[in-house]
Amino acid sequence: MQSSSLYIERNSGLHALHPLTKLALLGLCLVLAFALPDIRWLLAAFGLLLLPLAAWGRILAPFARSGFSIILPFVISLALIQGFFAGGDTALLTLGRFAFTWEGLLAGLTVSARLLVALGGTLLLMLSTRPDHLMLALTERGLPQALGYIVLTALQIFPRFQDRARVILEAQQARGLETQVNLLRRLRLLVPLIGPLILASIVDVEERAMALEARAFSRPGQKTSLISLHDSGFQVLLRTGLLLAALALIVWRLLPLVRA
Amino acid sequence: MITLKHFGYRYPNTEAWALRKISLEIPDGQFVGVVGANGAGKSTLCYALSGFAPHFYRGKTEGRLHLNEVDVLESSLGDLAGEVGLVFQNPFNQISGARYSVREEIAFGLENLGLPPSEIETRVSQVLAQSDLSELAERSPFALSGGQQQRVAIAAIMAMQPSVLVLDEPTSQLDPHGTREVFANLDALTQERAATVVLASHKLEWLAAFCDRVLVLHQGRLVADGEPAQVLADEVLLDYGIGGTRYTLAARAAQQGGLVSAQRALPVTLDQAREFFR
Amino acid sequence: MNGFRKEFSTLTLVLIPVAIAINVAIGQLAITLKLPLYLDSIGTILVGVLVGPWAGAITGFLANVVWTLSGLFPQAIAWAGVAAIIGALAGAFGRAGWVNSWSRAALAGIITGFVAAILSAPIAAYVFGGVTGTGTDAVVAMFRSAGLDALGANLGQGAVSEPLDKAISFVVVWAVMLALPLRFKNRFGNVEE
Ligand SMILES: Nc1ncnc2c1ncn2[C@@H]1O[C@H](COP(=O)(O)OP(=O)(O)O)[C@@H](O)[C@H]1O
Ligand SMILES: [Mg+2]
Repeated sequence: MQSSSLYIERNSGLHALHPLTKLALLGLCLVLAFALPDIRWLLAAFGLLLLPLAAWGRILAPFARSGFSIILPFVISLALIQGFFAGGDTALLTLGRFAFTWEGLLAGLTVSARLLVALGGTLLLMLSTRPDHLMLALTERGLPQALGYIVLTALQIFPRFQDRARVILEAQQARGLETQVNLLRRLRLLVPLIGPLILASIVDVEERAMALEARAFSRPGQKTSLISLHDSGFQVLLRTGLLLAALALIVWRLLPLVRA
Repeated sequence: MITLKHFGYRYPNTEAWALRKISLEIPDGQFVGVVGANGAGKSTLCYALSGFAPHFYRGKTEGRLHLNEVDVLESSLGDLAGEVGLVFQNPFNQISGARYSVREEIAFGLENLGLPPSEIETRVSQVLAQSDLSELAERSPFALSGGQQQRVAIAAIMAMQPSVLVLDEPTSQLDPHGTREVFANLDALTQERAATVVLASHKLEWLAAFCDRVLVLHQGRLVADGEPAQVLADEVLLDYGIGGTRYTLAARAAQQGGLVSAQRALPVTLDQAREFFR
Repeated sequence: MNGFRKEFSTLTLVLIPVAIAINVAIGQLAITLKLPLYLDSIGTILVGVLVGPWAGAITGFLANVVWTLSGLFPQAIAWAGVAAIIGALAGAFGRAGWVNSWSRAALAGIITGFVAAILSAPIAAYVFGGVTGTGTDAVVAMFRSAGLDALGANLGQGAVSEPLDKAISFVVVWAVMLALPLRFKNRFGNVEE
């Protein structure tokens, strides 16, 4: 019930990296995803950079599983929509007045590959980094602590809310909420369900706030942290390198535009 | 030392005073129970002692409320947090949500106080051992039962080592075993660290067994204040809708039925009951 | 920045994750029930109306961060800015008293929906190649087959689904506001009664 993030505990070099280092890696991946010129480069980046990193992090299987299930709907949508509507001369298939073209398919697959590289970078970070460590790293660099609190708490309490919603739903299913075809009817059944769900949780807010205050949450002054994140000179260098590489890529892609 | 002088409190937008004209002194190290029917003002008294009424709820106060030299009515919640700890009834609402293990959850308040990590480490380990939570230390606070969560919530406040610990019906979700543990821990706290404990509860038998003193609230007024043996044995508690301990009630029935001499003082604990019925 | 500080009491801070959890729980409920609506921003709109535009914006933005981090909908982060604007608009409409009657709440929802559609479309069109990787891509395909380009088709898709979705969400928030104790609403003070 409490696993509300993708994080998978493993003993690996990737896991041991400072969250900011992995964030810099994600930054590079995002730039790669939108700067690399064609699908071969993109697939090479995925196969030669991201997959080995996932293997190094001992998260290859979940990486592949999550990656596949997330990217698949994009591949289908993009291949179909671009295939039919992006134009091109090499028709592979004609349906009435619409031609499914090779050029369109390639364009769709290229966008898919871009998304795959971006997604891969995101997954590497998320699968190998505890959300609280990520937030701590950002808080240490000046992110307001309140934002970290909001994100971490939301991540931990929403499964609880989903459980409540599920309980309400199961109690109501007998009344034919799901089988009801008429949309308006279904909505009218839904509102009395979610109303109490919202109200009950909102009323708890007051006590939750007091409990936080009792823990000195809004005490002014410096706060400390029990956990300390491991960082090293090498990683600082690595982060700088990753960000410089990302910057170089951007310049390399934008230069022709500036000249023209 | 906690001092209340003609203290009164009214929630915003209400007519009636939730607490009125309360005068009271609680010396350091006392274990004080608070009883009263629903709506009598137990929670409000807890909030007042910890500064939440008025600093969180706003509303009006009258009279004075001091904690040692500190004027609670003039302080901020941030300043009071290290001095007075407050524990609630509902465990889920007390889990901060921002921490991923019981150990870190207990550390949360100490981090906010800005203690050095080594000190946090020491205090957390101590409290974990004391509260019998060491085995759960690495678990997610959200993966615990309500009773376990409540023990974590209490431990998290204890770790902050406040000089006053205020608890509002903290054991209503606990089984007898958990309740005993909480009471015994609080008792140890008052003995070893001279911390003051104020605990509102309906569990009269437990209050009788552990408290040095019991306060009775009725419609916002302090209507009785004294040793548990006197206060809890008093028939007037029936009028306040509080009842009595099961020992008192049984003994009173026995007296009224003529089974036991009417001279004998009514018992409030098991030991006293044993003596009474011998 | 003054309004910003005023909105951010500890109470607001605690309300926001609860609102995000409401977004997720009801959004997933809508999926389970196969409703042709998202219903994934009711919490965001509620915070906007109850607390104010800044709090609404932060809630919307962080809700999408949470959708991403939870792995439930990783692409959500790309629309975090749009979600923030939805929350801010809800705050503005709340402050202007539009959420005091259900009909004006619905109108506020329709306007918010159109704004959301206009802002979301370029993101789908230019970042995701004209799709969102969800069921609504079928609607996008329909518009493409009618001859619209990627941007136009996504705009069309948004214009079909967003205003209705946001109108219903605003009306739900109107109902919740009615039911909330005055004592509670007074603690925030975006709405004058
Ligand atoms: N937040 C509040 N706003 C207004 N009135 C309140 C509030 N909380 C409690 N009260 C009122 O204050 C009185 C005392 O309540 P409370 O302290 O909760 O009693 P107890 O804890 O003994 O049941 C009751 O009349 C109750 O209705
Ligand atoms: Mg109470």
